[in-house]
Amino acid sequence: MKKTKALSLIIVLLISVLAGCSGNSSDENLIRIGVTPEPHSKLVNLIVDDLEKQGITLEIIEFTDYVKPNLALADGEIDANFFQHQPYLDDFAAAEGLDLKTIGTIHVEPMALYLNESTSIEEISQESEIAIPNDTVNGGRALILLESHGLIKLKESAGLEATEKDIVDNPKNLKVTALEAAALPRVLDEIDGAVINGNFALQAGLNPTKDGVIIEGKDSPYANIVVVRSGEENEEKFQKLIKALQSDEVKNFIEENYEGGVVPAF
Amino acid sequence: MADLVIPSLLETLYMVAFSTIFSLLLGFPLGILLVVTEKENIWEKPKFNQILNSIINVLRSFPFLILMIVIFPLSTLLVGKSIGTTATIVPLSVAAAPFVARVIEGSLKEVDKGVIELSLSMGATTPQIISKVLIPEAMPSIILGVTLTIINIIGYSAMAGAIGGGGLGDLAIRYGHYRRETDVMIASVVIIVIMVQSIQYLGNTLSAKINKK
Repeated sequence: MKKTKALSLIIVLLISVLAGCSGNSSDENLIRIGVTPEPHSKLVNLIVDDLEKQGITLEIIEFTDYVKPNLALADGEIDANFFQHQPYLDDFAAAEGLDLKTIGTIHVEPMALYLNESTSIEEISQESEIAIPNDTVNGGRALILLESHGLIKLKESAGLEATEKDIVDNPKNLKVTALEAAALPRVLDEIDGAVINGNFALQAGLNPTKDGVIIEGKDSPYANIVVVRSGEENEEKFQKLIKALQSDEVKNFIEENYEGGVVPAF
Repeated sequence: MADLVIPSLLETLYMVAFSTIFSLLLGFPLGILLVVTEKENIWEKPKFNQILNSIINVLRSFPFLILMIVIFPLSTLLVGKSIGTTATIVPLSVAAAPFVARVIEGSLKEVDKGVIELSLSMGATTPQIISKVLIPEAMPSIILGVTLTIINIIGYSAMAGAIGGGGLGDLAIRYGHYRRETDVMIASVVIIVIMVQSIQYLGNTLSAKINKK
């Protein structure tokens, strides 16, 4: 049963790819949605059948980059994306001059600081090495989390895109190293601590609510959103998409599978 | 901007210089072995040659980003850490060493078979042929190969940011691409271009000079 399902999914994908090649870009029954692997792809995969019953084919395209999904959406290569939060979209759209619109918030993946040996931030010793993600958005977000707990102070003008070079006050003389977000859980053993995105922490078996020493609140502005091109936000297929993503099925799945690592935001 | 670019430039130079040295130390002997243990060569060892070839191919197949991650335990063993600029030298050297081996192999194979046979007939031993005939004869080509290696390492080092290595490539990606600070991106890329141009120029000049002798 699983095999046939997977096979038919592949066939559907192939067909829709071919259909896409023939320039059929605004099919009213097809949504090509760009997502990042965890948990976005998993959540979206949950609703494929549900939407299929409503006559909508959901084609899922996985990205591992944070720049391309918005550009692909603006260029019409995909119809929707689900990988980012509002601050990132605002900033990106302003910088690139894109006209994109949020149609719903789905979940928060709380970012948290994990420590190797210490169990509270008071115990962090002088000159500890803390790793943060090296992409601007998550790096900035990590620094803001550290700042909100008084570990560092950032330049006022740094904003959401702060980097470790914007630290102006560092009472514990922390050594902040930026590296690839996905590599953070792997190096946690050999440094003093790391600020890790919820998704990467989960993949590595770390639970933000249990293992995180400091964690972003549920009311974080960094809730993950579904975005479409402006002007298309009222299309029926997108209303159905949001309804399916904000269903109890998805909510239950999140609560059962992520134990606080991902929190529903609807 | 200089406060961003200069430390990154130093990081790149540091990584590239040491990775070049270590990859040559590892790759040069491998390249010689690849040639001399070949069938009908001066130190024929076909089985060994086959195994060596496979190992080099496997190492060369690894996407660099993956190699950087899987090599963490080795970096920790050698430099005590798997992240940071110094730790990046380990995957850079390991990635470049098989490349060096192939480059050296190519250069040595260009040496005229007749010269080797002549030396053999004059009673030269295998080590003598390698050090007195093969390497000197192939020197101009080896220098071009080393030049190519350095430029390749500069290219690889652009990915160092993934494991906190920093450098110009990382600066261009983080500030130029992610933060869309075009001036930083242009500055980093221009410096990389200048580096590559100068190294190629030096390599070409040196190689031509030796060739004339």
